[in-house]
Amino acid sequence: MSPEVPPSTRRALLRAGAGGLLGAAVAGCGFMPAKTPDAKDLAPPRARVDGDLVYFNWADYVDPSVFKGFEKEYGVKVVQSNFDSMEGMVAKLNAGNRYDVIFPSAKWAQRLARGGRLRRIDHSQITRAKDVFGAYPYFADPWYDPGSAHTVPFTAYKTGIGWRRDRLGDLSGSWRDLWNDAARGKVFLLDDRDEVLGMGALELGLDVSTGDSGDLDRITRLLAGLRPRLRGFSSDSYNNLLNGNALMTQAWSGDMAAMLNQAKDPSVFGFEAPKEGTPINSDCYAIPWNAPHPGTAMLFIDYMLRPENVKKNIEYIGYPMPVAGSEKVYAALVEPFPECLVTEADLKADLFFRNGSRTAEDARDTAWTHVKAG
Amino acid sequence: MALLRHPSRSRSRSRRRGPDASGARIWSWFMLPGTLWMTGFLIASLVLVAVLTVGTTDELGNPRFGFDLSSIRALADPAYTEVLARSLGYALLTCVICLVIAYPVAYTIALYGGRWKHALIAAIVVPFFANYLVRMYGWSVVLSDDGPLLRALRGVGLADANTKILNTGVGVIAGLVYGFVVFMIIPLYAALERLDVSLIEAGRDLYGGPVRTFLFVTLPATRQGAAAGLVLVFLPAMGDFVSAQLMGGPDQIMIGNLIQDKFFQGQNWPLGSALTMLLMLVLLVGMLGYLRRTRKDEAEARR
Repeated sequence: MSPEVPPSTRRALLRAGAGGLLGAAVAGCGFMPAKTPDAKDLAPPRARVDGDLVYFNWADYVDPSVFKGFEKEYGVKVVQSNFDSMEGMVAKLNAGNRYDVIFPSAKWAQRLARGGRLRRIDHSQITRAKDVFGAYPYFADPWYDPGSAHTVPFTAYKTGIGWRRDRLGDLSGSWRDLWNDAARGKVFLLDDRDEVLGMGALELGLDVSTGDSGDLDRITRLLAGLRPRLRGFSSDSYNNLLNGNALMTQAWSGDMAAMLNQAKDPSVFGFEAPKEGTPINSDCYAIPWNAPHPGTAMLFIDYMLRPENVKKNIEYIGYPMPVAGSEKVYAALVEPFPECLVTEADLKADLFFRNGSRTAEDARDTAWTHVKAG
Repeated sequence: MALLRHPSRSRSRSRRRGPDASGARIWSWFMLPGTLWMTGFLIASLVLVAVLTVGTTDELGNPRFGFDLSSIRALADPAYTEVLARSLGYALLTCVICLVIAYPVAYTIALYGGRWKHALIAAIVVPFFANYLVRMYGWSVVLSDDGPLLRALRGVGLADANTKILNTGVGVIAGLVYGFVVFMIIPLYAALERLDVSLIEAGRDLYGGPVRTFLFVTLPATRQGAAAGLVLVFLPAMGDFVSAQLMGGPDQIMIGNLIQDKFFQGQNWPLGSALTMLLMLVLLVGMLGYLRRTRKDEAEARR
């Protein structure tokens, strides 16, 4: 008996190992979507109460009192969950999680719509569709979703430079300001591939989402010169400015507007939209193909577009929304930073980050590694 | 902790391999839940990562199985080797600093802690129940330019307006040491706790000075605890990305940051997997060194 004991455990281990391999093979299939949507899954839903709302967005991106109002008016509950990146959101969707309303950025909205992952949205079901698509013709037929067939725009924002006016004075209004000697060692760039490469591209007069390796080499060389002046890559732009670690930082307009709420004296800060051009982005509402309650999701979008709710949300998150009548609210909010405003002309300049081919995306990824790791 | 108990467990097994080995069968059944757990969640996910190394990515950014060696070829980029070497340097430095900090602490508590021993160990361990990320975030506030530490240093004239800790190598290593020092203190404490104090007394009786006694009696007796501590600190420090993210600048990026970037922003899981495998290879070499060392120690102890 006794001499057999060690071999038997070894066999058991081997068997367990084989089981594990099998398990891995089965789990591996999870990477593929279990079911592909058919025409019925993608048909536009009617706006009606068909259950609680399963909401999936960045944390703190809607005023909580708006949720309360929605729950009270329609007698449903809002089940909230949050993502911390677009990639994280899409990974959850692909893994088969079901949500009623999601908030992808333009680039991701295009990918999801093209991939057949979004339900169509019937504009006639939304009471105030005209306030959005009529007042902002750009969004009536945006590049990321022809005819806005699957999305309704939620926010629009741009990328510029935030700085400490009390320490640096006025800037020249160009991306070159990041090379300012007075700020050397206290400059942050966003920890975001597209934003950093896009800034370099604009400074050199190239396409903002270029995937050309010659262009990317030029951008990498340009940014290698900026690197010794940087303190770091961080997307926490407003905290860096507030706590004094940054004198200057690449920043999203909405974050700078939100900073105004936190700052004791807003006049010590500045925000500029550089003249070479500023990347523009927008987040939108979308309903995934497997949403359990698409009707409630339609009602929610409708509710969010009511003027009083738009006002509350703008004041809560600091991002402008392309809804007629909300412009004054936002202008008042960002009075110290007029360049935070996103106009129709800004949208028409069309400096959105676009999806590239796989090779282009890989080239951008390699360039980003070189910019970041030096 | 498994590492820590490793030597004693193998010793007891060798003792039991005698006449009463039938009892060992039961013990091997007790290993079943652990084995299943590890194969299910550790080995299987490792296999997935290994397979994805040669996978591809589709238009939606999803990883796909396939056979494509481009991710492995991409590893030849000098940027990765440089960052890997930097991570190795940071991790080794972190180990050394942790050892220097932890030894006196563990020594004092184990030998002079008296009835406060357990309370003192709890005082060290309890703060580590707080989430690592939260602690690091707090640390980054403490070290920030207008934070309490630099303000105090400026007050006593040790720093000027331009001194900074955040976003430097010092900041990253400080974060790593703070994050993982407890993994060094606990095994050292366990080793020192087990140490027979009469050995030290014997050393003294044989006219060894305090330094000689320490070097030739205490230190060799706690070598295994130190080795376990070194491994426990080295492994997580090498793969860490939080410290470099919150306390590093552009020149302090570690391999963990690059791997995280590939899985998230880059949407390039195959390259992320390839980098993970490269990192594991480096760690494996370190572990082999450790295992050889402990086996040699065991062989010596048995003789």
